[in-house]
Amino acid sequence: MLLVLDSNEYIFAFGVFKKAACGTLLDTILDAFPNHTIRLPRTIAEEVGRHLTPEEYREFIAFITSLTVIDEDFSVPFELGARYEAQGLKSADAFIAAYVEWVGADALVTENRHFLSRHPTLPFKILTAENCLKTF
Amino acid sequence: MAKPDVKKAKQHLSKIRQLVSTKKTPLSDMSEEEAIKAIRKTREELWDRKLATRT
Repeated sequence: MLLVLDSNEYIFAFGVFKKAACGTLLDTILDAFPNHTIRLPRTIAEEVGRHLTPEEYREFIAFITSLTVIDEDFSVPFELGARYEAQGLKSADAFIAAYVEWVGADALVTENRHFLSRHPTLPFKILTAENCLKTF
Repeated sequence: MAKPDVKKAKQHLSKIRQLVSTKKTPLSDMSEEEAIKAIRKTREELWDRKLATRT
C-alpha cells in the first residue's frame, strides 16, 4: 500500500503530541516495509519541521530519506491543485490532495477532519491512523 | 535515491522520539483538536508565505 502521511501523523508519531495509533502506524509501516511505502512532499516536511527543534528536524530528514525521496512541490501539476480548490478545499489542503493523486497513493492518512469530511469526493482513501492500521 | 534502509530509518525514528521525550512542547498540553488546529495554522502560514514569494 502506498501512503501519504499528513504532517499531523508524523508529529503525533514522534510524541510531540502523543497519539498511540499514529506511533503504531509508523512502526508498522517500517516493520512491513516494502509492503507499505510512503511518499512525502516538501510542504509536509516543512510543516513537520516547524514543530521540531533543528536537531530533531535533522533526524526527521535522515529518517525520511532512509525510506523515500522528498518530492518538490513544483513537481505537482498546478491544474490538479486548482481542481481541488474549486471543490472547496483550502489552497494548501488542495495541494496535498493533488499530491496524493499525482503520486497515485492508495490513501492519505490524516487526523484532520477537514479532509475526512470530504471523503466521498476524492479518488483516494482518507484514513485516520487507527483506520489505516485496520486495513493492514 | 539510495536504496531504502529500514534499519537506519528505525534508528533515526528512535532518536527523534528520544529527543522529543526530553522536553515539553507547546502542543503537549493541548487537546487533540487544538493540536490539529495548531498544525493546520502552520500549514496555512507556510502556504501563504510560499504563495507570496511566487507572485
